[in-house]
Amino acid sequence: MSNVMLVLIVLGLGVIGFVLGRGRAMSAAGGDRRNLHSLPMYYGANVGLNAVVPAMLVLFAWLIVQPMVINSSVSGMIPEAEIAEGSNLSLMMSDVRRVAEGLDLAVGQGAMTEAETRSAGEDLDGLRDNLAGVGVALGSDITDSTFAAAQRYRVLAGTGHLWKTIATITASLIGLAVAYRMTSTTFRARNVVERGILMVLIAAASIAILTTLGIVLSLIFNTVEFFRLYAASDFFFSLSWNPSFSGRGGGSELGILPLLWGTLYISFIALLVAVPIGLFAAIYLSEYASKPVRAFAKPLLELLAGIPTIVYGLFALLTVGPLLVSVFGRDGALGVDWMQGGTAVMTAGLVMGIMLIPFVSSLSDDIINAVPQAMRDGSLGLGATHSETVRQVILPAALPGIVGAILLAASRAIGETMIVVLGAGAAARLSMNPFDAMTTVTAKIVSQLTGDSDFASPEALVAFALGITLFVITLGLNVFALFIVRKYREQYE
Amino acid sequence: MEDMYQMDRTMSTEQDIKIRANGVQVYYADNQAIKDVDVEIQDKMVTAFIGPSGCGKSTFLRCINRMNDTIDICRVEGDIRIDGEDIYDPRVDPVQLRAKVGMVFQKPNPFPKSIYDNVAYGPKIHGLARNKAELDEIVEKALRRGAIWDEVKDRLHAPGTGLSGGQQQRLCIARAVATEPEVLLMDEPCSALDPIATAQVEELIDELRQNYSVVIVTHSMQQAARVSQRTAFFHLGNLVEFGDTDKIFTNPEDPRTESYISGRIG
Repeated sequence: MSNVMLVLIVLGLGVIGFVLGRGRAMSAAGGDRRNLHSLPMYYGANVGLNAVVPAMLVLFAWLIVQPMVINSSVSGMIPEAEIAEGSNLSLMMSDVRRVAEGLDLAVGQGAMTEAETRSAGEDLDGLRDNLAGVGVALGSDITDSTFAAAQRYRVLAGTGHLWKTIATITASLIGLAVAYRMTSTTFRARNVVERGILMVLIAAASIAILTTLGIVLSLIFNTVEFFRLYAASDFFFSLSWNPSFSGRGGGSELGILPLLWGTLYISFIALLVAVPIGLFAAIYLSEYASKPVRAFAKPLLELLAGIPTIVYGLFALLTVGPLLVSVFGRDGALGVDWMQGGTAVMTAGLVMGIMLIPFVSSLSDDIINAVPQAMRDGSLGLGATHSETVRQVILPAALPGIVGAILLAASRAIGETMIVVLGAGAAARLSMNPFDAMTTVTAKIVSQLTGDSDFASPEALVAFALGITLFVITLGLNVFALFIVRKYREQYE
Repeated sequence: MEDMYQMDRTMSTEQDIKIRANGVQVYYADNQAIKDVDVEIQDKMVTAFIGPSGCGKSTFLRCINRMNDTIDICRVEGDIRIDGEDIYDPRVDPVQLRAKVGMVFQKPNPFPKSIYDNVAYGPKIHGLARNKAELDEIVEKALRRGAIWDEVKDRLHAPGTGLSGGQQQRLCIARAVATEPEVLLMDEPCSALDPIATAQVEELIDELRQNYSVVIVTHSMQQAARVSQRTAFFHLGNLVEFGDTDKIFTNPEDPRTESYISGRIG
């Protein structure tokens, strides 16, 4: 019985429980719902939830625990000596699992009988062909101990599966029965269901938090692995980024500084574009624009935020880059020869700045609107003009919030990838010239992981170290931004 | 009491009219909020506008410094003159007008700046001080007039929003007088204050009368009786009765005024 089937059965029991619980409550009340503590549906929901939730928890826990138990039981069967050069226990175990799955599949498709699988140990090569026939290709040869382990794995998995089904359905039935017995006219089903809903909400919130935690942990583990292969001091302080490609091995220079410099330079130019334009747009929209103009212009401006960044990247590559070259390039309008090619910090920065305008303007607009009307009245009542009011009263009052908006835009700029890949080039260098090609941390993460380098090599693992560095920087910026925004909120309460 | 009344009477005839409004109509989109109001407000005197909520007294007050201009749908007709000059004349700059006609609002609204900067805001904008020393002097004078100097002189650079409600309102009054206005408009200046702070602000209003023409909108009839010399009673957008405060409260001519001050309507 598959897990999906099991879930469906449990849900079915839940529905049955709902109907039964509701019916029992109604009959206990003599058919008059006014005699009940809660509405009849609450009694039904109580029984239904009791049938579903504990059973699901059992199933979930079982799915996590069973592979761990089987793994530790089976892995003991593989002798140390058989672990091949360049391999390790976990790779062997994945072979074992694949053989076991292959056998299951072969039986399922009728390519082998249950009896044949037991005797297959005598002809391991034939088994390999058989498995390839059902679509399970194995990299290495099947050894005796692997086969034995696979057989044991199958047996354990089969037993585990049976008990899992029994345990889940039993849990469901027990929950149903207990809740059904509790149902009476004085039972406070409404409050119990309320608590159940609270649990659901808490679970949803914890999933988000746990996912973040999981991402951070996976980054940390891989980063630790990286630092075992490559010195942390070189990573953080080396001035050059020059990864050699795997196969030749060693000799890579993986300094983050050139990448960080590129990231910060491009983000700086992007903010230089986005902050004034976004802020002035926000001031116009919130302070000067009439209602119809605002209703029309604000969604249009926010449309910019909806454009996929790859499209911005194309815009940078095909339009802005050549345009800049025609001005700052060798034969350009200025004749200065500052710019060698279309991909440059300036190209990516300008386009990224355009992308960030709606972030700055939309948030700033909300914040400026949140400044109480009394402030405007107070200033206008003293004979200040509109722009004096904006400059001297509204902007200072909104400043913390605006700074928060800018910091959020900054962390967005630092994490941006596609525009950089297409607009800024791929050369990691430390240069002050904004018309040079440079690259960023994110772009290098992509190129280090999408190559064909060995995943265990420092050239690939460096991506995680880059990732976590970036994560720490943007997290810091976000926390700082939130802190400032919160401080601002207290001001008018 | 009778003497005071007499004295005020003679004073009011002697003193010239500061603000003269004729046939003022105010519309919010299609709703008429003020219907044909004529009023004459004398200099160096406190004039109170009373009336039930929504009667148009605040709207009329905001016509006097053209604050209604900031509301898109608001339209003002008629003629309002300050010192004989039509303030709705196209040649009049509303910004300049508001410097001459200060305003204090219902809720204290200090800017999120220091106490000093709150008061210095108006003088700085209008260039009233040539240097820092002069500005300091203006700020101190305004804070003294606002009867708050002693409480804040040691913390001029603390934020104005950190003061208590009554102090904030006196700070706002100081801020308004710092630009040397000729008329001070007050829109229910005590409605957000406790009785003690109210008493302080009322005392202050009485002092301000010596230098300014003060117009105060209030919901409290006791307050109108305490602080004002002249009272106008508004009802449903009409100016029902306008006269000396003592007369309005002791011997009103219009039956609606009498009903309102005795608590039967409103």
